[in-house]
Amino acid sequence: MAKIIIDNQEVECQEGITVLQAASKAGWDVPHYCFHPGLSIAASCRLCLMEQKMPHPQTREMGWSPKLMPACQTPVRDGLEVRFASDKVKQNRANCLEFYLLDHPLDCPVCDQAGECHLQDYSQRFGNAESRMVDQKHVTPKKDIGPKTLLYTDRCVLCTRCVRFTQEISGTNELCLTNRGSKNEIDVFPGRPLDNPLQGNVVDLCPVGCLLDKSFLFKRRVWELKGTPSTCPGCAMGCSIRVDQADEHVYRLKPRYNPKVNDWWMCDEGRFGFEYVHDDKRIAAPVVRRGKDKTTPEWQDLPGILKTRFETHVREHEGASVAVVLSPFMACEEAWLLIRFIRDIAPSAVLVMGPVPVEGEDQQFPAGATGDAVKFTILKEKCPNKRGIEMLLEAAGGETLAFDAFVEKATAGEFSAGWVVGGYPKAWVEKPVGKAAAKFELLVAQDMFENEFTAAADIVLPACAWVERDGSFANHAGLIQPFARSIEPPAGAMRDGQYLFETAGFEGIYSGERVRELMAATIPAFNEVCEAPPVPAHTH
Amino acid sequence: MAWKALDRLTPVAEGEAPLLSEALREKIRSFFPRYETKRAALLPALHIVQNTLGHVSYQAMEEIAEVLDIHPSDVLDTLSFYTHFWTHPKGEKVITVCRSLSCEVMGGKEVLDEIKKQLGIGLHETTPDGKYSLVTEECLAGCDHSACLLINEKLHKCVKPEDVAKLLADENNDKIDSERSDLFDPPPESAVTKTDASDGTSDANEAQEGN
Ligand code: SF4
Ligand code: FES
Ligand code: FES
Repeated sequence: MAKIIIDNQEVECQEGITVLQAASKAGWDVPHYCFHPGLSIAASCRLCLMEQKMPHPQTREMGWSPKLMPACQTPVRDGLEVRFASDKVKQNRANCLEFYLLDHPLDCPVCDQAGECHLQDYSQRFGNAESRMVDQKHVTPKKDIGPKTLLYTDRCVLCTRCVRFTQEISGTNELCLTNRGSKNEIDVFPGRPLDNPLQGNVVDLCPVGCLLDKSFLFKRRVWELKGTPSTCPGCAMGCSIRVDQADEHVYRLKPRYNPKVNDWWMCDEGRFGFEYVHDDKRIAAPVVRRGKDKTTPEWQDLPGILKTRFETHVREHEGASVAVVLSPFMACEEAWLLIRFIRDIAPSAVLVMGPVPVEGEDQQFPAGATGDAVKFTILKEKCPNKRGIEMLLEAAGGETLAFDAFVEKATAGEFSAGWVVGGYPKAWVEKPVGKAAAKFELLVAQDMFENEFTAAADIVLPACAWVERDGSFANHAGLIQPFARSIEPPAGAMRDGQYLFETAGFEGIYSGERVRELMAATIPAFNEVCEAPPVPAHTH
Repeated sequence: MAWKALDRLTPVAEGEAPLLSEALREKIRSFFPRYETKRAALLPALHIVQNTLGHVSYQAMEEIAEVLDIHPSDVLDTLSFYTHFWTHPKGEKVITVCRSLSCEVMGGKEVLDEIKKQLGIGLHETTPDGKYSLVTEECLAGCDHSACLLINEKLHKCVKPEDVAKLLADENNDKIDSERSDLFDPPPESAVTKTDASDGTSDANEAQEGN
């Protein structure tokens, strides 16, 4: 711990960090563009400048340095004294901001960044309301620099965060700073677009509206969005994210800082891979089939129906054998409730791990990095909760099966009743399973999209997307990461957690936290969840 | 999309054949031992290519990147920082008129206008016969002899509008009299496809050396 003095106040801070970080942590709002804790230090934007006490070169007497120093580049050391609350520092900020605005188009009404723009915010907080600019501003055309991003050249503040990201994190180097001085621009080499699996992050990094996400462009004003903390279900890493929604529609996903998992980043596959949530082919209502008859039961009757059907089945069939397929897209809590329900009725029910989608290989960034040099990893295991389901299977004991073996046995007619959970964003039943599905006397299929199981099932239950549910996923390393509900399920559907909660015999409102408490009694691992730590208010 | 955006997805269409001969690449590689990293040889590489080919096209930038094992965007980044490097063909001789303070006061603007008139070209243009290109630059470090201009690397001091005709008529107006630096030694005759000595552009040393 180092002790430094900021504006006459003593601040204790971690060694090895910069004054800017120490000040932000202690609550100061120090404006900054170029500094980002995940990138190298450029100290080029000059917004964070501060005064620092230094010995006079001749008299050695301590006094305020005549020259301002960048807080983002000055490491803390015991006894250091700095100040931000001086006229000199304030004047510098105001002057810098005036320069930034001189040639900046004031097109906030049509700029996607408006509302979360640090040029807007800083100008308001630290700058001048009026411009003294009398000359024409430069108008530079925007550039189509890649499949996912647009670069509004004249909005750039040249912080070079984006360039450093492609150099240091993705390691793909597509972005560069062309020309010199007042002609500086961010660009790509023509024909070598910004196109790497992490490209979406440059949009998050850009403090202004220069780099924008094509998929979000002109879709919604950001102040209409409501953010919910969540965990990305795209791969077994489980990056901490925020789901931004308005009117029950998800507009974008953003990463949240989590040093244990994803630092500040997320991959494009996860970021842009939520479109299926709003697919109108989703199953939205439960269906009960009797022969050719199809009815949609009331939700409040459903737990009773499920319970009776399984109980009757087990009672009436000697040697009934029940199998449950648990999907690696289920939350731990949901899977636990389902196991509990089924094992209550059929204690020897076989538990099956649903197919685990695997694509390609794990990808490390920057490419070729190993050990500590790895800044980000995308895992080949494209589901969020295989580890969690494994933990539950282990805790539940009894017979378990792999999915292929289950299909084989089911085809041979070895199971009389079953409950198959899908909930995969993509079609997941790869081999034909129609024969297997037809052999069940009682089959429940819980899924998001139609497939051979839902076609053959006696009861079809809609599965909800993760943004509509709440619970937790255990990532590849076994970290149990909660995710909150962001939007309502499609009209007619009910959250899986809620109907499983009631079916398992509980009353009231389901919540992941409530169920986790129950689970923790028998599976201590669930006592501890990994939450992304809070970040200081004035950082970005 | 209804509005326009500069297309950066499509490569700049240029000739296919490799522009950098093996000998040229070897010449660039010969600078590697001088530095810790290969990328550090980028400036010499740019000089070598411009001296030999006259300018550094996008295709040439890609090829340089290949030799140095860096991304072409890094080459563009560095190259575009320096006005010295040309990305499109320039005339055999480049006239650089100083546009900085002393020269401006001492009639540099009039000299520039006179050159424009006599050559019939504007800034960043090249005469139809490919002989001259015209640009301006900040201080040429000859302020005590304003107004100044460069023809290739040869500095001409105290130039007046009435001197322009004579200057342009002089075949040797770009011949420098100082010693060449060994930094940009031309590669052995046989190694380079273009002949060096006879053509003005390849006489290039670093600009400062002419001063
Ligand atoms: S595009 Fe954005 S992130 Fe990149 S330099 Fe400009 S302001 Fe910074
Ligand atoms: S100079 Fe310190 S944040 Fe930019
Ligand atoms: S001002 Fe022209 S040479 Fe310095």
